[in-house]
Amino acid sequence: MPQFQQHASWRLEGGGQVIDLETAVKDGILGGGGLPTGKDGTLGAAAEKLDLKKMIEGLDSAAEDVPSVFICPISLEPMVDPVTLCTGQTYERANILKWLSLGHLTCPTTMQELWDDAVTPNRTLHQLISAWFSQRYLLGKKRSEDVQGRAAELVQSLKKVKGQARVEAIKELQKMVVAHPSLRNALADSGGVALLSSLLGPFTSHAVGSEVIAILVNLSLDSDTKASLMQPARISLVVDMLNEGTIDTKINCTRYIEMLMAEKSFRCEFMLSLSLLVALLRLAKDKRHPNGIAAALSLLEAICSHEQVRSSLVSVGAVTQLVELLPNLSPEGSVPALHILDDLSTIPEGLSALKDCPQTIPNTVRLLMRASEAGVQYALSILWAVCRLAPDECASLAVEAGLPANLLLVIQSGCNPELKQRAAELLKLCSLNYTTTLFISKCKLTRTIQ
Amino acid sequence: MISMLYFVVESMGSFCSRQQPLNEVDSDENKQAAEIDKRIDRETKAEQHIHKLLLLGAGESGKSTIFKQIRLLFQTGFDEAELRSYTSVIHANVYQTIKILYDGAKELAENEPNSLKYVVRTDNKEIGENLSEIGSRMESPCLTKEIAKEIATLWNDTAIQETYSHGNILQVPDCAQYFMENLERFSEVNYIPTKEDVLHARVRTTGVVEIQFSPVGESRKSGEVYRLYDVGGQRNERRKWIHLFEGVTSVIFCAAISEYDQMLFEDDTKNRMMETKELFEWVLKQSCFEKSSFMLFLNKFDIFEKKVHRVPLNVCEWFKDYQPMGSGKQEVEHAYEFVKKKFEELYFQNSKPDCVDRAFKIYRTTALDQKLVKKTFKLVDETLRRRNLIEAGLL
Repeated sequence: MPQFQQHASWRLEGGGQVIDLETAVKDGILGGGGLPTGKDGTLGAAAEKLDLKKMIEGLDSAAEDVPSVFICPISLEPMVDPVTLCTGQTYERANILKWLSLGHLTCPTTMQELWDDAVTPNRTLHQLISAWFSQRYLLGKKRSEDVQGRAAELVQSLKKVKGQARVEAIKELQKMVVAHPSLRNALADSGGVALLSSLLGPFTSHAVGSEVIAILVNLSLDSDTKASLMQPARISLVVDMLNEGTIDTKINCTRYIEMLMAEKSFRCEFMLSLSLLVALLRLAKDKRHPNGIAAALSLLEAICSHEQVRSSLVSVGAVTQLVELLPNLSPEGSVPALHILDDLSTIPEGLSALKDCPQTIPNTVRLLMRASEAGVQYALSILWAVCRLAPDECASLAVEAGLPANLLLVIQSGCNPELKQRAAELLKLCSLNYTTTLFISKCKLTRTIQ
Repeated sequence: MISMLYFVVESMGSFCSRQQPLNEVDSDENKQAAEIDKRIDRETKAEQHIHKLLLLGAGESGKSTIFKQIRLLFQTGFDEAELRSYTSVIHANVYQTIKILYDGAKELAENEPNSLKYVVRTDNKEIGENLSEIGSRMESPCLTKEIAKEIATLWNDTAIQETYSHGNILQVPDCAQYFMENLERFSEVNYIPTKEDVLHARVRTTGVVEIQFSPVGESRKSGEVYRLYDVGGQRNERRKWIHLFEGVTSVIFCAAISEYDQMLFEDDTKNRMMETKELFEWVLKQSCFEKSSFMLFLNKFDIFEKKVHRVPLNVCEWFKDYQPMGSGKQEVEHAYEFVKKKFEELYFQNSKPDCVDRAFKIYRTTALDQKLVKKTFKLVDETLRRRNLIEAGLL
């Protein structure tokens, strides 16, 4: 490709960067690193072959500042095919042609009238743009290959090393997986996932197990892998770590189990042991770590959708613990808890546990005020079930807690009709033992208190 | 404690022989009192750093085997003198075993419907009677080559083999086969028991035994200090455990899961697994264990593995709702998970709500397998160390 001999230095507008074609090609605008170049200093054939458009798309343009002279003034995007007007301004070919076809006969930036409507390809600029993007693209590719290479190395080393060295290797791999999303597929293909899964067993130490789970939870695993991970010994290991680990380990284990539960082959009677439920409840009550609470409630909510497990949950005292937790939760955070309690109210033991717990009614009533529509739905359902079980004792408790006023607000609010109807029925149930005047006075009284 | 007393006595003696003015005497007394207090303080602190582990479980659940394994793994093991001391024990075990088998065969021949298969061959009967008599003596004679040959002959009798395979209603010890297979070696003139032999030897533990050890970590740094207590397991000895209960770091409860079809030694109408269940419940309810971690060793897995195919779990009342799902290795795993779940349920049913923070872990063990015990103990050690850190707020 014929080139003009450039002056030793070009001064560019904005940025003050010194560019000459040779160094731009060889050393890159930001210096360092090189491109393969031919003997006559032209851009290497390899660089040309890389489709400029693809490279521009592939590069994360937010990460690096594309020089302003490479940007088309019309689209504000890097130019793939820069052309220059007679005014000397350069634009992306497609954009300026569109501008001209709309009937404008001016240069968009200078507003000068065009005395010549020819567009000249700006080969110089094209080469500079190509060079700049190629260099970064190739560097990026190299970095990614390095990362993959290192990851492969680590996976190989895991086959040989033991003890503390093994823990360190897994830790490093985990950090890499988090930092480089591209590794996730690579790990699956190279057998890394299989190797990591094989490290989990009945005699896996906590140190190794927690790091492996930290990796696996970030990957998307195929069904076969998930099936092999559902062996009882491996699940027991995860439950143990859920009991004993740091908060990060606990959250990882929770998300990991949630991921496995989504599989069809998940057998809840075997996988969801009492130890797991107890561990999750403990996590849900840990006020120091709100994201732990959220993770635990999310998994418990998913677990509760399996009817067989509900009685186990009740047997470990979930009802009382969740009811006592309600005041500490945010309105959005309380929805899963309410959902769980609602599901538990569908079985007799759950319902009687709800009735026996003195905090059920006050805590649920208080939430009616704050919760979203979904939360209100669950709360009403719980209150309805409890009050219907023992209308006499519960209705008076509910009235004392200020339920009628809240119900009136629900009925008056813009929620869906079923909800309003449920609220109205509940209101009627509460009012049964009171004369009308007494009841109304109770409503007014509680409203003013609030 | 004893060394402190000695110190006091010693100083008292030297004290009286000195002639000192009264006010100096006073300050000396104070100094000594302060020394003693400091000493008590130091030793109490040292005690606190020792993790006390209590091995509990029904008789023949494998507690003493675990105890021996720990000795072999973390202490200097058995020296020759101690190994030799087991010779008479092993010989006695051999006699006891063959006696139980022979007497058992006779009993089955009388009571079982299919009795013919339990009838010993005529020419073996005399051997049987002779051995039965020897086995009932308090002191067993040394095992000679001749007697060993006779035992081997009797062992190979089909009736005895038949009795052995139906040994669950008798009190045939689990290591019967091991003893019978090694008769020749046991009867050598210069026989010194191996470690393996000692692990299999069966001595009923009376009283309490303890060892102190420190599992050496990977970095060759000394790990935590543990003191392991082993107590007698049979019913009539439980009262001896009581004074040990206060403040143990961890209870290691051994349950032999292969015993679901066997009866107690002390009471052959009571199923062993039911006994274990009741004992576990009793232990869980003890207030002195409220802060202790519970490590449940489901032991004798190797025997369980083989038995599950022959004898369904439902023969034990506790496991009556068991539903087999297949065969082969999967069935074993399924059965094991079922048993594990039962123990888990029992644990949560019998733990008060304020004990929720107590660590509870279940381990599958085969106490005779040294590698397995070592791996298991490594996990126990890791758990206890993490517990420490959690309690200190460092984790």
